[in-house]
Amino acid sequence: MNRLRPILMAALCAVLLSACVQYQSKRGVEVKWQSDITEQLHKGTSTRGEVLALLGPPSQLISLEDETVLYYLFERTKGNGYILILYNRFTVDARYDRAVFFFDENDILSDYSTHIHAPEDD
Amino acid sequence: MRLKTINRLRTGCIALVALCLAGCTQWRYDMGDHISHADLEKLQQGMSLTQVIAIFGPPQRISSNVSGYVMAWEHWQVDEDSLGIRLGAMGADILSLDWGKARIRGEFLLATFDREHRLSGSTVSEWDNEAGGGRGIQPFIGVVSMVDIDDLVSQMPQHRWGANSLRELPRALNTQSSPISGAAGVEQRGTPPTIGQKSLELR
Repeated sequence: MNRLRPILMAALCAVLLSACVQYQSKRGVEVKWQSDITEQLHKGTSTRGEVLALLGPPSQLISLEDETVLYYLFERTKGNGYILILYNRFTVDARYDRAVFFFDENDILSDYSTHIHAPEDD
Repeated sequence: MRLKTINRLRTGCIALVALCLAGCTQWRYDMGDHISHADLEKLQQGMSLTQVIAIFGPPQRISSNVSGYVMAWEHWQVDEDSLGIRLGAMGADILSLDWGKARIRGEFLLATFDREHRLSGSTVSEWDNEAGGGRGIQPFIGVVSMVDIDDLVSQMPQHRWGANSLRELPRALNTQSSPISGAAGVEQRGTPPTIGQKSLELR
């Protein structure tokens, strides 16, 4: 029994002091640029007001003389790690769901592009 | 009697090793999407903005400039490894031996568009470099981190765009020239704040 004590103590320490963690962080505007929403938008006819009404305030507004750009960003960070006292490892993956809309001098949608990460991409 | 002493010593040694070693820690960051060479080969001067964003999706960074737009797509992988041995776990913060290093791999595509929304230029950079590191002996209090990658793994600047003018002075005075403004170009992660447009912020 005495011989086993050090091993048992080491095993106890390893069990009590080890841990695993999982975390995620979400920043940015709510993702509303799913295809069923953007299907309502048409280049050459949809207005900036319609886009704002559908998607809400953007993350960033950019202007180039009379043109404007609405930029939407949702940042999703997922991480996990394990803590084994002598060896600890953490992984962090950040993915960016985003949408960009270009409007001409008449506030008419001239171009747009959207991207949403599928769950299997995470 | 002798066997008992040996067992006690062995127990003590195991406990000491377990408590003394802070251990090896690895961080792995993966940010953004891989930019494929096949997609890059599709880029041709004069192609429309519509075609470019159809290939790469919305850019991760965008800004207007005097001649049109500048856009950037990026993918970063940052590895941080550190090893520390310290007596702090024994209640005596008197000695720590630390070693750390960081490595970055990434791709960055920068594209410029003229006012007619035509691709006027593009450039791609790929890298796989050491991002720094260090080793040290800190006899009393461990105050210095051996690896600093905070500027490489921070959140995208667009989240702070709305509060750009509310920052402390002199940063607020530099709002018009700040890369966060969307009207003064874009910058890569890890760009030192003492160069370029942000040098006026006196950080």
